[in-house]
Amino acid sequence: MVKTEEKVEELTNPNFFIDRPWITIVWDDPVNLMTYVTYVLMSLFGYSKERAHELMLQIHNEGKAVVSSGRREEMERDVQRLHEKGLWATLQRDDQ
Amino acid sequence: MTTSTAFNRHGENSFVATFAETEKEVLINLTEQLIEILAERVDDAYRDPLAAMVGITGHDSPPDDEVLLRLLPNAYADPIESAEFRRYTESGLREKKRVHAMSVRTHLLNETSEQISLDADSAQAWLGALNDIRLALGVRLRVEENSHEQLELLAPDDPMRGVYAVYTWLGWLQESLILSLMDDEQD
Repeated sequence: MVKTEEKVEELTNPNFFIDRPWITIVWDDPVNLMTYVTYVLMSLFGYSKERAHELMLQIHNEGKAVVSSGRREEMERDVQRLHEKGLWATLQRDDQ
Repeated sequence: MTTSTAFNRHGENSFVATFAETEKEVLINLTEQLIEILAERVDDAYRDPLAAMVGITGHDSPPDDEVLLRLLPNAYADPIESAEFRRYTESGLREKKRVHAMSVRTHLLNETSEQISLDADSAQAWLGALNDIRLALGVRLRVEENSHEQLELLAPDDPMRGVYAVYTWLGWLQESLILSLMDDEQD
C-alpha cells in the first residue's frame, strides 16, 4: 500500500511526467593534466582505466563529455565531487 | 643544483619524493597564497546561525576574481540555478580546498629532511592542492590549449617566466604522483 503523501509527491515530481534524466558534463580545460582527468574519472565513478581514458580523450578532442547521468540530486553530488577535484563540470537536463 | 626527484611508490601505501630546500619554500608559499585567496570568499555579511549550521552561505553570485571563479566554478549554465546551488555548496567546497592546502603546507613545514613521504590519504590532499595551485597559476598565466609554445618563449626578464617554470615543475610533480597512485589501480 502506498501512503497518500508519497503518491502526491510522485505526481508533483516533474520527472514523473518527463522521463529525461539529468547529466553531468565535464568540459575541456587547458590546465588539467590528461592523466589527472583519467585518474579522477576512475576514482570518482569507478570507471575502468580504458573507459576513463576514452572519456578523457572525448573531453580533450570534442570539448566535453557526459560522465554520468541520473537523478538531479545525484548529478549535483557528482558535480560537487568533480569541483572538489578541480575538474570543470556542470549539470543539466538531458535534452539532446 | 637541485636534488629533487618526482614521486615514486614505495611499497603498498607510501609515495616518496625529494625536494630541494628552495622548492619546499616555493611550494609552502604557493599553498599560503591559495589559502589566502580562498579566505577572500569567507562570509562576513551573512551571519544567520541557523543557515550557518546547515552549511548555507550568503554567496550566491559567482566570484569576481578569475582565479576564485576557476576554483569555485558554476554548476549550471543558468545563472539562477547556479546561484541556488552555490548558496548551499560553496562553503563546503572552499573548506575542502583549504584543508588540502593546509595539509600540504603543514607537511612541508614539519619535514626537516629533503624527503617527503605521503600515505594514501595525504597523497589525495597533495593531489588536490597541487591541482588547485596549477589551476590558479594557469589563470594568471592565461594558459590556453596552444599557449605553451608562447610561454616557452617568454623573455628572460619577463616576471611570468618564473611563474611558468613553477607551473611546469608542479605539473611534472603532480603527474608523477598520479602515475604512482595509478600503479595499483589496475594492470
